[in-house]
Amino acid sequence: MILSHNRRPIGLLKLGLVITSVALFLATGMLYVSQTRQQGLLTATIRSSGWVAYQAQLEFVKTEAEFAKLSLVPTRDGLRELVLRLEILRSRLPVLYDSDEGRVLSGIVDTKDLTQPLEATLDSVIDEVGALDAEDGETASRLRSIDTRLTPLGQVLQRILLESVAYNQEIFRRERALAETPGVVPLVLLFICGGCLALVLYLQGRRDRLRLGEILEAQNAIRAMESNLRAVIQAVPACVAVIEPESGRVSFFNSTAASLVSADPADPAWLHFVQAVHEAAGEAGRTKWGMLSMAYLRSPGQFVSLRGTICDVLWERRHQQLIVLADTTQVRSAELQVMQAAKLATLGEMATAIAHELNQPLAVIKMAVANARRLLEPMSGGEAVLAKLERISSQVDRAKRITDQVRRYGRMPSEQLLPFSLRHAVELAVSFVAEQYRAANIRLTIEPGFPMEVLVFGEQTMFEQVMVNLLINARDAFEARDAGAGPASREVTLSLGCVAEQVVISIQDNAGGVSEEMLPRLFEPFSTTKSTDKGTGLGLSLARSVVRDMNGTISVENVGAGARFIIALPFSPPVLGRNAA
Amino acid sequence: MSQLRSMLICDDEEELAHELGEYFSFAGWSVEVCVTAQDAIDRLCNRPGPLVLLTDLRIGPFDGRQVVAAARARPEGERPRMIVIVTGHVMDNVSAADFDSDHLCVKPVDPDELGAVIDAFLETHAPPSE
Repeated sequence: MILSHNRRPIGLLKLGLVITSVALFLATGMLYVSQTRQQGLLTATIRSSGWVAYQAQLEFVKTEAEFAKLSLVPTRDGLRELVLRLEILRSRLPVLYDSDEGRVLSGIVDTKDLTQPLEATLDSVIDEVGALDAEDGETASRLRSIDTRLTPLGQVLQRILLESVAYNQEIFRRERALAETPGVVPLVLLFICGGCLALVLYLQGRRDRLRLGEILEAQNAIRAMESNLRAVIQAVPACVAVIEPESGRVSFFNSTAASLVSADPADPAWLHFVQAVHEAAGEAGRTKWGMLSMAYLRSPGQFVSLRGTICDVLWERRHQQLIVLADTTQVRSAELQVMQAAKLATLGEMATAIAHELNQPLAVIKMAVANARRLLEPMSGGEAVLAKLERISSQVDRAKRITDQVRRYGRMPSEQLLPFSLRHAVELAVSFVAEQYRAANIRLTIEPGFPMEVLVFGEQTMFEQVMVNLLINARDAFEARDAGAGPASREVTLSLGCVAEQVVISIQDNAGGVSEEMLPRLFEPFSTTKSTDKGTGLGLSLARSVVRDMNGTISVENVGAGARFIIALPFSPPVLGRNAA
Repeated sequence: MSQLRSMLICDDEEELAHELGEYFSFAGWSVEVCVTAQDAIDRLCNRPGPLVLLTDLRIGPFDGRQVVAAARARPEGERPRMIVIVTGHVMDNVSAADFDSDHLCVKPVDPDELGAVIDAFLETHAPPSE
C-alpha cells in the first residue's frame, strides 16, 4: 500500500521532467536559431550604419567641391546648387544618430554629441549662402570665409567615418573567424551533453532497478525466514509466548503454550500465567535475559514445573517480552524417582549388610541354645526351660529365614544364567510376601500346574524378585483401591501352567485393574501408578528386562475386577539342576 | 589314632567358635578352637591334621581357603578327612567343591544337622582299615 501511494507522484514527476526536458531542448534549439538570425540582422545594421557615415561624408565632400568651384566664379545657379547641397548635408546629420543605423553608430562613437552642436552652424551657413548675390564682387571671398566655418563639421564626419570603417573591419574579421568554425558545433556539444546526461540517468535507473530486485528478493527471503521461524516456534516442545509488558496481554503463543494455558488469548488464564511469570522473574526479568523457575497451577490441584527465560524483544515493531519455558514436571518427577531408587538401592545394600551381621549373633544364639539344651537334658525338671529353648531356637530359625530373604532380595544379580526350578522360585517369592499379605488381609491362592522338576533358564534371584514385585504391586493396588473405603474382599490368584513349549505364570487380582492410558506404557521405566514414596517406577521395567533375558515375555491385561500379569517362559533343556536351596 | 574324632574349628567369631567347640565336645569330639587363621595354619603345619576341619571363610584379614590349603598340604594320612566351610555370606551358584571342601553351610547352622552331615560323610568316606 505504501509503495503504490508513493509510485503515482513519482510517475507524475517523472513525466513532468521529461516534458520539461523536451521543451527546454526545443527552446534551446529555437533560441540558437533566433540568436543566429539576430546576429545576422545586427551585422547588416552595422554595415548600414557605415554606409550612413559614408553618405554624410560624401555629401560634405560634394558641398566642399561646390564651395571651391563658386569661390572662383560665383554664379546664381551655382549658389542655388550650393544651398541645395548644404540642405542635403543638413538632412544627413540627424540620420547619424536618430535612425536605426545611427543608433548602432552611436554605440561606436557618440554621433549625437558630436554632430548636434554643428547643426546650428550649418543652418546659419545655409541662411548666409542663401542671402549672397552672384553679382556682388565680395561673394567669392565671403564664400571662402563661410567654408572655413564648416571645417569642424568635416573633421567630425571624417572621424565618424573612420571609426565606422574600423568597426566594420573588426566585424568582418570576426565573421570570417566564425565562418571558419562550424556553427553547429555548440549545438552538437549541447546534444552530446544532453545525451550523456540521459545516459547517466538511464544507468542510474538501471542500477536502481537491479537494487530494487535485490531488495525484493531479500524481502522475500526474510518473509520466508520469518515464516520458517514461526513454524519452528510452533513446533518446539517448549512453551513460547510474547506478551505486552504494560498490559500483560499475550500477543503471540505457540501450540505448546496453548495446550499449557489456553488456546484463547482473551482467556483470564493468560493473565494469571503472565502474573506468575513476572513474580517468578522479578524486576530483573524486565530488562535482560533472566532465568526463571516456577510452578504454575494449571488447573485445581495440578501444578506444572516450568523452567526457562524471559527477555525483552522487538516483536512486530513493538517492544514486548518473550517468555520461553520448558515443562520440567516429568524431569523433576523422574529426578525424585531416581533419588528414590538410589535411596532404595542404598537401603538394599544396607539391609544385606545388616542381615549378614545379624547372622553372626544368630549363629551364636543357635549354638548356645543347642549347648544349653544338652546341658539341661540330664537334669530333671528342666522341661519348661527346654520348651523355652526350643522356642528360642525356632525364633532364631525364623529370623534366619527373614535375613535370608532380605539378603537374597538385596543381592546384586549375577549375569550367569542357570536352570532352576520355577516352582521353587515362585514359592520363595511367595514366602517373602506371605507375611505382608497376611497383614494386608489378602487371600493368596496358588494353583501349581506343574511339578517342582520343571526348570527354566535364567537367574533365579532376579526372577524371584520379579515375582515379589508383581505380588507387592497387587498388594499396593488393593491399598490404592480401598483408600478411604471400607474393606472389601482382596484376592490374588497365582497359577502356574504349561502351554505348548512354554511355562506360563499368571498373577491375577481383583484390585480394580490398570487404567487404559497406563496399560501401553506400564513396563516403561518410571511408569508407575503409585506415589513417589511407594513406587520407584522401575519394578515392572526390571521385570520386563529379567523376563526378556530369560527369552520370555511379560504382559498385562484387565480381567474382570482386576489386572492379570502373565509371564511366559521357555522350558530349560532337561538337566539335573542343582537345587538352589 | 590322633585323628580319631578330632576336630579343628577356626572362626574369628570367638563366641561362635567356642559354642561350636562346646557342642562337638559334648558329642564326643576332641575339639581344638582357633580364633585366628594364622593359629589354625600353624596348628595344621606343625601337627598331624584333625579328622574334621571346620572353618569360616572370612577370618580377619585371611581367607578361609588359605586354612583349607594348609590342611590339604598335609601328607596323606595326616590330612583332615572332612573339611567343612561355615560362612556368613550367601553366595549363589557355588558349591563346597569351589572351596576345595567337602561341605558348605551358611550361618546360623543347625548343629544337629551339621553333626549328622559330618557323621554321614565320615561313614561314607571311612578308610578301608576302619
